[in-house]
Amino acid sequence: MLMQAELVWLVGAVAKGDTAAFERLYGATRAKLYGVLLRILGKPELAEEVMQETYLKVWKMADKFDPTLASPITWMVAMARNRAIDIVRKRGEISIEDEPEAQNVPAETPAPLARREMTEELKRLLSCLGKLDPEKQRIVLLAYYSGWSREQLSTKLDIPVNTIKTWLRRSLLEIRECMGR
Amino acid sequence: MYDDAQDALAAEYVLGTLSADEREHAEALLTLDPGFAASVRMWERRLGELNVMVEAVEPPPELWDKIKAELGVVEPASEAPQAAPVPASAEPPVETLPETPPAESPPLTMADEPGTDSIPIPPPPVGELPEAVSDSIAASLAKSLAEPAEEPSERVTAPLVIPPEVEAKFEPKVEHKLERSANVVQLARGVSRWRRMTVVMGAIAALLALYIGLAQFAPGLVPLGPRTQVVAQAPGPAQLGARLVAVLQQEPTAPAFLLTVDPQSRTLVVRRVSATPEAGRSYELWLISSQFPAPKSLGVVGNDEFTQRPIPGNFDVATLRAASYAVSLEPSGGSPSGVPTGPVLFTGKIVESVPTAAPAPRT
Repeated sequence: MLMQAELVWLVGAVAKGDTAAFERLYGATRAKLYGVLLRILGKPELAEEVMQETYLKVWKMADKFDPTLASPITWMVAMARNRAIDIVRKRGEISIEDEPEAQNVPAETPAPLARREMTEELKRLLSCLGKLDPEKQRIVLLAYYSGWSREQLSTKLDIPVNTIKTWLRRSLLEIRECMGR
Repeated sequence: MYDDAQDALAAEYVLGTLSADEREHAEALLTLDPGFAASVRMWERRLGELNVMVEAVEPPPELWDKIKAELGVVEPASEAPQAAPVPASAEPPVETLPETPPAESPPLTMADEPGTDSIPIPPPPVGELPEAVSDSIAASLAKSLAEPAEEPSERVTAPLVIPPEVEAKFEPKVEHKLERSANVVQLARGVSRWRRMTVVMGAIAALLALYIGLAQFAPGLVPLGPRTQVVAQAPGPAQLGARLVAVLQQEPTAPAFLLTVDPQSRTLVVRRVSATPEAGRSYELWLISSQFPAPKSLGVVGNDEFTQRPIPGNFDVATLRAASYAVSLEPSGGSPSGVPTGPVLFTGKIVESVPTAAPAPRT
């Protein structure tokens, strides 16, 4: 299995047009990205489409990857998530009950990891999340994992949209303060 | 200087909770405002850790074939001779990886088999945490996200806290000791950033209401809601050319500048709708086009309600039509450097609007 340093090396090789490295990078990262995308998009066909777009971007933009700013997987997932959220936002604000794809999207987080499987940063993040009220934690995590909009969160949790917006902003800034810049 | 509102925008952008319009605005800021871009990267880094917990799911094998097929059409990123320097010691990565944790970590083989883990995190070498603590923290995380609202009894009241004694046992993560000799790829800023921006600006078109102006630059343009269009009545067979109009705004409900460009007379008119210039600052209008590596100044605008001037430079009509426009807040008199130095507050794109036949009035 691949470690961070190898992924960074692979991205560097991809930047020089190394297709074999690109294939290895794909092999190492495809399942994680696909999992993230399925959670947000619900439909496999859409997830596949975004996978294609994302890996093409990786191929084209590998020379702009800066390992001091992000890890390869964070970089790739961020691109994939961005595109996925673009798609679900432009789908319009359909209520969860009306939209079958949204029903496929799990309303709970992924299964718990054993502690030793967590990265340092994840532990720090979870501990900071833990300082929020449970309801605010839930909103942040649902938004991240499932890609729900403020309106969908409002409907599902029966909280006014403006409250969701205020809570989100406050919670995110508290997380930032907690994690230190 | 730290702008909480802007950082919150960056955070919500990364989290995904911005509306479609807000996302487009954020994407514009991303390419125009390096401070905002840095905020976004920080949030991607902070929140990106949550990805570790997402289950990996194998995509269909045919997907790779589709991706591979597209590679042939697209060139890779850097064909320029000045590629990132390859250290002389570069070997196949498996052999040069940093020391792995002893014994219990999995062997470093290529992930050919369908795995449940693309990127497993090696366990900390020593000082295991009490499994009960670790699992209970993770479990309470999952529990706190059980079906909400309908079953209030499922709500967890205990927050997630890592007991300090557990905290103390954390070992530094092995994989963060990046090989300093690993290929650090070039970060191409500057020119390519501006070019990328123009692609993104195209997405801003949807952000705007389209006001199709009447033949004269009249205050008769009625500000309507963000998604409504007013179609001009055709002036007749001797009709003038296209009126190119853009609304430059930050939020869909707060248009700030109305820009009209007349390609025939080579005049531009900027109407300040709501934004008032701060004392000691000026608004400056910029043209952004894929043809130029950097935004082009169209001059300071907005000191009066109407600013009318000949279009600076000699941009051709096609460029004017296709360009995106932005207003930044600069020192009094405009940017000293010829590129935006202050925050970009309003953005917009012109869309060609004159049909070949007489348009029917629409509401």
